[in-house]
Amino acid sequence: MDKAYRTIGKSILRTDAVDKVKGLAAFSADIDLSSPPLVLKVFRSGIPHAKIIKIHTEKALAIEGVLRVFTAKDIPGKNLLGIINKDQPLLAADKVRSAADAVALVAAETEEAALKALDAISVEYEKLPAVFSPEDAMAADAPLIHPKGNQLAARFVKKGDVEAIFQQCASVIERTYRTSMVEHNYLEPDAGIGYLDVDGTLVIYASTQNPHYDHKEIVTLLGVPDDKVRIIQATTGGGFGSKLDLNTQGFIGLALYHLKRAVRCVYTREEAYLATAKRHPLTIHMKTGADATGRLRALRAKIICDTGAYGSYGIAVMSRAAVHATGPYAFEAIDVESLCIYTNNPFCGAMRGFGTPQIAFAHESQIDLHAEDLKIDPLQIRLLNALRPGSETATGQVLTHSVGISQCIEAIRPYYESAISQWATAEHHPYKKRGIGVGAMWYGIGNTGVQNPSTARVEMDLSGAVTLYTGCADIGQGSTTILTQILAETLGLSPEQINVVAADTQFTTNAGATSASRQTYISGNAVKDAADKLSDVLRTEAVNKLRVSKKSLVFADGCVAVATNHEKCVDLASLAKRIHAKGAPLVWQGYFDPETVPLSPTDGQGIPYGTYAFACQMAQVVVDVLTGEITVERIVAAHDVGKAIHPENVKGQICGGTAMGIGFALMEEFKPGETKSMKDYVLPTSMDMPEVIPIIIESHEPSGPFGAKGVGEPALIPTAPAILNAISRALNQRIYTLPANLERVLDASIQSGHFAGRKK
Amino acid sequence: MDQHRVTITFTLNGKSVTMDVPGAMNALTLIRERLKLKGTKEGCGIGECGACTILVEGRAVNACLMLAAQLDGRDVQTVEGLAHEEGLSLLQESFVKHHAVQCGFCTPGLLMSAKALLAENPCPDKAAIAQAISGNICRCTGYQQIFDSIRHATGAPTGEEKT
Ligand code: FES
Ligand code: FES
Repeated sequence: MDKAYRTIGKSILRTDAVDKVKGLAAFSADIDLSSPPLVLKVFRSGIPHAKIIKIHTEKALAIEGVLRVFTAKDIPGKNLLGIINKDQPLLAADKVRSAADAVALVAAETEEAALKALDAISVEYEKLPAVFSPEDAMAADAPLIHPKGNQLAARFVKKGDVEAIFQQCASVIERTYRTSMVEHNYLEPDAGIGYLDVDGTLVIYASTQNPHYDHKEIVTLLGVPDDKVRIIQATTGGGFGSKLDLNTQGFIGLALYHLKRAVRCVYTREEAYLATAKRHPLTIHMKTGADATGRLRALRAKIICDTGAYGSYGIAVMSRAAVHATGPYAFEAIDVESLCIYTNNPFCGAMRGFGTPQIAFAHESQIDLHAEDLKIDPLQIRLLNALRPGSETATGQVLTHSVGISQCIEAIRPYYESAISQWATAEHHPYKKRGIGVGAMWYGIGNTGVQNPSTARVEMDLSGAVTLYTGCADIGQGSTTILTQILAETLGLSPEQINVVAADTQFTTNAGATSASRQTYISGNAVKDAADKLSDVLRTEAVNKLRVSKKSLVFADGCVAVATNHEKCVDLASLAKRIHAKGAPLVWQGYFDPETVPLSPTDGQGIPYGTYAFACQMAQVVVDVLTGEITVERIVAAHDVGKAIHPENVKGQICGGTAMGIGFALMEEFKPGETKSMKDYVLPTSMDMPEVIPIIIESHEPSGPFGAKGVGEPALIPTAPAILNAISRALNQRIYTLPANLERVLDASIQSGHFAGRKK
Repeated sequence: MDQHRVTITFTLNGKSVTMDVPGAMNALTLIRERLKLKGTKEGCGIGECGACTILVEGRAVNACLMLAAQLDGRDVQTVEGLAHEEGLSLLQESFVKHHAVQCGFCTPGLLMSAKALLAENPCPDKAAIAQAISGNICRCTGYQQIFDSIRHATGAPTGEEKT
C-alpha cells in the first residue's frame, strides 16, 4: 500500500541536533552583540487587585547605571495585548488585576543596577477586593475585574433532548471533576534580545512560538509601520503554549523604541513562574447516560474555566473543552455549557491540549464508571462507542475518514490482556495494589472553528538549489525537519539539500502559531502547496525537453525523469535556467487553511476542525496503600497520527507527552502565591518514568500532507485518565481531583478500607 | 560595590585558564558571561534543573551552586569540550542518532551527567542511568530516547558488546 517514499516516514537526522549537542545553538540568553546590551527588569505589582494612584520612579532613576524607568505613559501605541481578546496591558495603566501585573520597566547598564532600581520603585495603590475562584467571581456582588464583567465568554454545544434520553438509560452517572493549575516549566526561561538595525528597524530575537503574532502586537504597541519591526525566533527551549503570549518581546520593543540601544530581557525561573500563563484549572460537572449494553447516549456538562486576570487563550480552552467533552465517542444528545471566568489569579492561557487533557479526565472517568456499573470491560465499552467513519460528532460534523480510534484501542488489546492475565495476578506485596487503566482521546487539529491558515514560500535558484521560507517556529518538537522532509519528498531531493529560513518576519510569511498540533498538518500542507506549484512548472518545462507527457514525469535525484526510464532525465539546474529565461517564476507561495465552518454561538453546531487525531493509552500502576505512593510501571500509548512523517519524532512526542501526563496525573499543581521556584514545584524526573511503549497508528488523512495529522498535544491527553482509572481499579475507589498526589491517594486508600486493613 | 576578588587558575576543556573573579561570582556566571561559553545553560539558578551541569574533576556538578573561586586548581569540562576535531564524541553522536534532542536546552547538562556516569560505569543499566540523570530535568522528551542514547553510547569505544 505505502508508496516507496524517499524521506517521508524516515527518521532522518534533525536539522538542529548537531548544534544542540555541541552547545552551539544560540538561545535568546546566549546571543552576543558587538556591545553589551542594557538589562531590562520588570517591576510587578505584588498585589492582586488595586487601582494605581501614583507610581514613584524618582529614586530608581537616581541610581547609578539606571537609564530609564518606563510606565504605561511611555507606550506610544495601543497598550493592550491578547491573541483572541485584547485585555492585557503591557504595563498597567490604571489598575492591576493580578500580583504578576507589570507596572514599570527598568533599563539599566547592569543587572545589579536594574535590581536595585526595582527595589527603589514604589507604587501607591487603592486596594480593591479580590476574588480567587470562579464561584466567587460569578457572585452577584463580586468586584469587577474587567469592565464588561467577570464572565469572559461562554460556549454551548447542544444537540437532541438530553433529559428525555437520560430517562431511558440503564446507567446514569453524574460526577464533578477538578483539575489543577499547571506550570509549563519549559526548560528555557523566557528571554529575548533586541537591537536597532542601521536602517532604524527594531530587531528582536525572542524565545517564541509565534513570531508573526509578536510582530503584529509590537507594531500596534509602538504605533510604528510594519517594516520597522523584525522578529526572529531564537532557538527556543520549549514552550508548550506559554510562549504564545508576548512575554519579554513587548518590553524589549518598548525599550528599543525609546533608547535606540541594544537591550536584553531574561526572566529568572521565578519570574517565568510568576508572570507567564498557566494551564486553566477546570471544574467539570458531567452527567452521562448509557443503555444496558453500554452504548453511550446522552451527555450533559457544565465546565468552568478559571482564566485568571486575563483572557490569553482562555476562550480557545473553553471552546475546545466543550467541543471535546464527548471524548472519541458517539452520543445521540449533548448539552454542554462552558464558561470562561476572570479571577485575580495568575492568568491562564494555552497549555498543550487547550482544555482537552482536563475534559478527558472527566469523560474517561465517566466511561469507566459506566463500565463498572454495567459490568463491561473498559476496553470493550470504548470500542463499542468509538467514533467511526460515518459517525456524527457533538457539533454535527460527520467524520468521513481517518478515524483511527478503534485501531488504537485494538492495538492496546494484546498488552491489556496479558497485563490482566499475568501482571495483575502475579504475586506481590500485600500492601501494594496493582491496577490497569485505559484512557482514550480525540483531538481536533488546528484552531476551533476559526480560520487559521499557514503560508510558505519555496524558491529555486538558477543552480537548482531550493530554499524553504517558513514562518513556522520550531520550539523543539522538530517542525523544521518535518517541513523540510515534505518539501524534499515533493521535489525528489534529500532533506540536506534544502536550505531553510524559518521564523524571521523579514523573510518569511505567516505560518500561524506553533500550537494546536497544527504545524505538520497546516504548515505541512502550505509547504506542500508551494512545492507542488514549483514541481508543476519544473515538470511542464521538462515536457519540452523530454517530449513525454507531464503525467509520466517524476522527480529523481535532482532531476526530472521519465517514470519508466530514469535515464531519460533533465537536471533541475537546466530546467531552472530555461524557466527563468522564459520569465516564468521559480518562487512559489503556498497556502493552506483547513476546511471548517464556524460554530453556532447558540448550539455549537458546525465543523470546528479539518481532521482529528485519536489515541488510546493503557497504564499499569502500583499503589502503596499505606503511603499513597504511586508507581507507574508501564504506559502503552497507541496514537493515530495519520502518517508519521518522522517516526522517531512522533515517538519523542509520545514519550514526552506521556511524561507531562504523568505530572498532570500525579504531582503537578501550581499554587498562586506559594509556588515560587522550581523547589516548590514537583515535576517528573527520570526516576518517575515508566517504560513507555509508543505505537504509531497510521489512518491516512486525505487532506493531510502525505496523509499526516498531528501528535504534539494528543501525546499528553490520555495519560492522566489512564493512570487515574488504573488507581481506581487498584483501590476500588475513585479520585475526582487532580493531581492524585500522596494525600489524595492515601485518602482514597483509607476510604476504601485498604489502610485500616493493615491493623487487623 | 567593593567586592573582594580572587585570582584563580584552572583547566577548562584541557586548557589552563587564569583569571581574576569577584569572590561572590558563581561558576555559571564565570563560564557564561566571562568565558563566553554559552553551551552551559541556566534553567533555575538554584540547583533544581541540571541545565548548568559541568564536570569538575570528572564529577557532574551544578555550576549555579558553585562559586567560581571553587574551580581554582581543578579540572573543569563543559559541553564545548566534548567534541574533538574529528567530530562529535560517541555520546554526542548517540544523542543525535537516537533522537534524544528536542528543544536542546537540557542537552548540554544531560551530556555532562551522562559523561560522568559512563566514566564510572561504562555499561550502566536503565536504573543506573535514571539515577545519574535524575537531577537533569527534561520537559520535552520524557527521557526514554535519552536512556537509549546513553545506553548505546556505552561499550562502543572499546568495541564491547552492547546489550
Ligand atoms: S541552573 Fe543550575 S541547576 Fe538549574
Ligand atoms: S529537550 Fe527540551 S528540555 Fe530536554
